Amino acid sequence: MGFARARVTPFVCAVVVALVGFRPDVALAQASQQEIARGRYVFGATGGCGCHTAKGQPANAGGRRYDGPFGTVYSSNITPDRETGIGSWTDEQIVTATRLGRRSNGERLLPVHPYPVFNGMAAEDLKALVAFLRSVPPVKRANQPKRIAVPLFESVFLPAWLAAFAPRETPPPSAPTAGVPRGEYLVRAVAHCGECHTPRTLTMATDNSRFLAGNPKGPEDQAMPNITPDPDTGIGKWTVEQIADYLGTGNKPDGDVAGGLMGEVIDGTLAGYKDLTQGDRVAIAQYLKTLPPIRNKIAKEK
Amino acid sequence: MSRRTWVLTAAALVPVVAVGCASMGQMKPEEAIAARQQLMKDQGAAWKNIQDKTKAGDVAGLLPDAQKLVDTSKQIPKLFPEGSLNPEKSAAKPEIWAKWSDFEAAAKNLTAQSEKLRDTAQSGDKAATQAVVQTFGRQACGTCHTPFRVPPKQS
Repeated sequence: MGFARARVTPFVCAVVVALVGFRPDVALAQASQQEIARGRYVFGATGGCGCHTAKGQPANAGGRRYDGPFGTVYSSNITPDRETGIGSWTDEQIVTATRLGRRSNGERLLPVHPYPVFNGMAAEDLKALVAFLRSVPPVKRANQPKRIAVPLFESVFLPAWLAAFAPRETPPPSAPTAGVPRGEYLVRAVAHCGECHTPRTLTMATDNSRFLAGNPKGPEDQAMPNITPDPDTGIGKWTVEQIADYLGTGNKPDGDVAGGLMGEVIDGTLAGYKDLTQGDRVAIAQYLKTLPPIRNKIAKEK
Repeated sequence: MSRRTWVLTAAALVPVVAVGCASMGQMKPEEAIAARQQLMKDQGAAWKNIQDKTKAGDVAGLLPDAQKLVDTSKQIPKLFPEGSLNPEKSAAKPEIWAKWSDFEAAAKNLTAQSEKLRDTAQSGDKAATQAVVQTFGRQACGTCHTPFRVPPKQS
């Protein structure tokens, strides 16, 4: 038997080498499966890019409505459909839109898509995210045009606002892999917690001097809790384990279960916060514990 | 009484009984709000107990609370009568009445998930019970909280 195996093994190896050698796409496809899996993970860590999925509609096909002081926008179709989605965009174009808020024709996206925040994502994570976005089923659904109510909003106000009030996160050379730096990276650049949980100033920019101190009038008119470690008005009484559990299960220490937008991002669409590893959920909790506690009681505005 | 009289009497009673049942089933809005808030508090307490018992490895210990979830889940729809939308006092969203069949389905889903939790715990299989508990919050409670409840204010 041993002799037979010794003779067969080189033969098998030769066949494998021949196959891989002559079909380079086999090796490539395997590499990109890994990349897609990583991209799905990043996608989940953003909360499933849930703004791009309308209730009851196919994932990533866009069409969810957002009202702002400037008018109304609808999220874009980010499925790989060539006509109505991002199927004909290059990787570079998708990355530029995600982190710099520019379409391939130079048009600026409204920062409802939080590009100043996503600019903090590591290049390798964005690349993987793009690979994942390309791997999901294309959906033909034309984007709905935005309705801007303020004159000169996009030509004058928006560029000035971005320059004055929307500091960009800085991308790390590579994504931190563990501990508090990992948690900070996920919270600030990927999970974009501040978009909902940080109060906004009169200009509607996030007030980062009160990072994650809660927003009484957050997106879709929901009151967003203070998640700094203040024991009375924040989540200072939650343990690291309780925070990590909550992100994975939606279960709060008092027996309640998440709903609303937090329920959405935990559940995600094709993936969500619930798909984060225990290590990453703990890293997020550990980072949140390092924030300055800010006293800010959030009660819904009438 | 002739058979015909019976039929006529019965026919005459149908609307009376129907109206009677409806008015009994229909609680006053403020009563309904108080009752459903109490029910959700009880369910939260039961769910917390279930998680604690599961963590402690006491699978049999969660049975009474799982049964409580099964029983109380069936009362949910009738505690949300038409006209009991009250954003001042209640976290119930108008979507409940706009999509009533979805809301009823979400309540039925809670019943089904709670039965599954109870039956799995009854089997004594710790690993399987832990697996159900792991996803229960999102799949049994969250599927209703996410579309139909305004998130609670911070305590």
